[in-house]
Amino acid sequence: MDILAGLSQGFAVALQPINLLYCFIGVFIGTLVGVLPGIGPVSAMSLLLPVTLSGTPESGIIMMAGIYYGSMYGGSTTSILVNIPGEAASVVTCIDGHAMAKQGRAGPALGIAALGSFAAGTFALIALMLVAPALARVAIAFGPPEYFSLMVLGLTVLSFLSQGAMAKSLLMAAVGIILGLIGIDQITAQPRLTFGRLELLDGIGLVPIVMGLFGVAEILSNLEQELKREVIKARIGGLWPSLQDWSASKWAIVRGTLLGFFLGILPGGGAVIASFASYAIEKKVSKTPERFGHGAIEGVAGPEAANNAAAGGAFIPLMTLGIPPNVVMALLLGAFIIHGLQPGPLLMTQRPDLFWGIVASMYIGNAMLLVLNMPLIGIWVQVLKLPYRILFPLILMFCIVGVFASGNAVFDVFVMVVFGVLGYLMRKFGYEPAPLVLAFVLGPMLENNLRKSLILSHGDFQIFFVRPISAACLLLAVAALIAPLLPALARRRAALPVEP
Amino acid sequence: MMLRNSELWGGLFWLLIGGFVVWVGHDMGLGRLHEPGPGFAFYWIGILMCALSLAVIGQALVGGGPSLAALWAGTRWLKVLSVVVLLLVYGVGFEAIGFIPCTLALLLVLMWFVDPVDWRVALLVAVVATVGVWAAMTKWLKIQLPAGVLEGWLR
Repeated sequence: MDILAGLSQGFAVALQPINLLYCFIGVFIGTLVGVLPGIGPVSAMSLLLPVTLSGTPESGIIMMAGIYYGSMYGGSTTSILVNIPGEAASVVTCIDGHAMAKQGRAGPALGIAALGSFAAGTFALIALMLVAPALARVAIAFGPPEYFSLMVLGLTVLSFLSQGAMAKSLLMAAVGIILGLIGIDQITAQPRLTFGRLELLDGIGLVPIVMGLFGVAEILSNLEQELKREVIKARIGGLWPSLQDWSASKWAIVRGTLLGFFLGILPGGGAVIASFASYAIEKKVSKTPERFGHGAIEGVAGPEAANNAAAGGAFIPLMTLGIPPNVVMALLLGAFIIHGLQPGPLLMTQRPDLFWGIVASMYIGNAMLLVLNMPLIGIWVQVLKLPYRILFPLILMFCIVGVFASGNAVFDVFVMVVFGVLGYLMRKFGYEPAPLVLAFVLGPMLENNLRKSLILSHGDFQIFFVRPISAACLLLAVAALIAPLLPALARRRAALPVEP
Repeated sequence: MMLRNSELWGGLFWLLIGGFVVWVGHDMGLGRLHEPGPGFAFYWIGILMCALSLAVIGQALVGGGPSLAALWAGTRWLKVLSVVVLLLVYGVGFEAIGFIPCTLALLLVLMWFVDPVDWRVALLVAVVATVGVWAAMTKWLKIQLPAGVLEGWLR
């Protein structure tokens, strides 16, 4: 009953004209950045973070959330039509989606991607509604040691799931924490690592770091090689999948949805891993695995459902614990903080309109996406024809404007360029930017909870091991740390995709 | 040969940064365990960074890695360098010269020289994008962008 009352309150908020407009802008931009290679949801969200300041918190967060799940929908279009994933979670869709397009079945591939995404997105929302209030009640009992251990677990798991050497991923997480701690110390008010610069007293902004590491670095990396894109030229008609297509896809969508949702909740997990895991499972359970790679529709339906369900599931740790499980949620946390809000167990009781408004807007946004993706495919195809040599200067301009607007300071533009170069070099040398950004956001909370825990326990580290939730989190973190040492697990980890 | 190993240089770079963080943390004050000081987290995370960097260096020494030259072999690195330099120049002139002239110049240089397209297309895209973004930011979103040399004209 509480849920129904909350949901009706949420729809009252989400259906306000201004919020409907922000939701539409969010899912439209999300689909657009999903379609466009070279700019993903992380860049788009950080770009628009300052824009959210001009409206109410619910409008801004509704828009940011829309960009995220919108990009999951849009990413499939480029994968299917151009064989270039619009964003990382759609990499696996290229395999069978583009093969279907080459066989003249681009329509059903796009159709099943959109419909599977809609079904998975809706399921994830229902599950979010049911799970979040229960988890929030548990989370109220969390103290500083639990929060500290949970954050350590999140960073360790993300490092484990990142590509390349785990030492490098952990190193990036450590660098991220240090960067997050720059500025005035919250307890002693002492400036830390500010090098005497006034601009650094409030710390480095999230937007310049993210825009540098993901936006500028991506452009620099793409500029190294000439991007060649060949858009499917044949007319894309008959988007509605046939009965045979439905029959082949229905269980793939169910499996992808369940898998994606649970992987989305896990700290460090997310849409990319969910889509790859779904593809692997579909291939394994198929009676005709040899069709995979040659246009099997299950290879499109499962991963697309998985990445959308994961996008919904990822909201749970943020909304209930206030801890972002991935970089995109870290940006959403940034949007909450900009508006003076702290997501966590108290959000549902203190701001039920906001929590339920966001949930309700996601229902509306999912329906909008279905409308956007099915009939507007033609427009997205035209967008895809825009050459990268025209696109990249425009993306750079948006990065500069977004960064400047976030702090009204040219200093931030220089910070973005520095992190752009760093991000480019990190890619070259095999270092992942995702652990750095997540640690940057979690760093101040991590340190704060560590210091509070030590003050509470009079300097006794046992406080982290005698409390069951904290001990369990640390145990899992240790397991994630030693897992790569086991040869079988190390091989599996080496095959994991990259989570942005 | 080992000195050309990119993995080794990557590890050494982070070892240097880790060492610096340890020093900064110690300098800020570690406090005591029951009341950690402002440098406590810096110090211990710096030590962790050093340990992880040593692990990277160890892996590089044992397993090797691509040479520094190999990382850029066959790439259009000059375009990358041009974009970085242009962005820095843009940042220097941004406030004094203003958003519109700086952005127009940046877009035109990128589309005429760095990765060329038809000059008429470049001109059209640059003008429409610059003026469009300026209008959207200042008129619609009420976010001020530096007017610079066009201050009197844009007021």
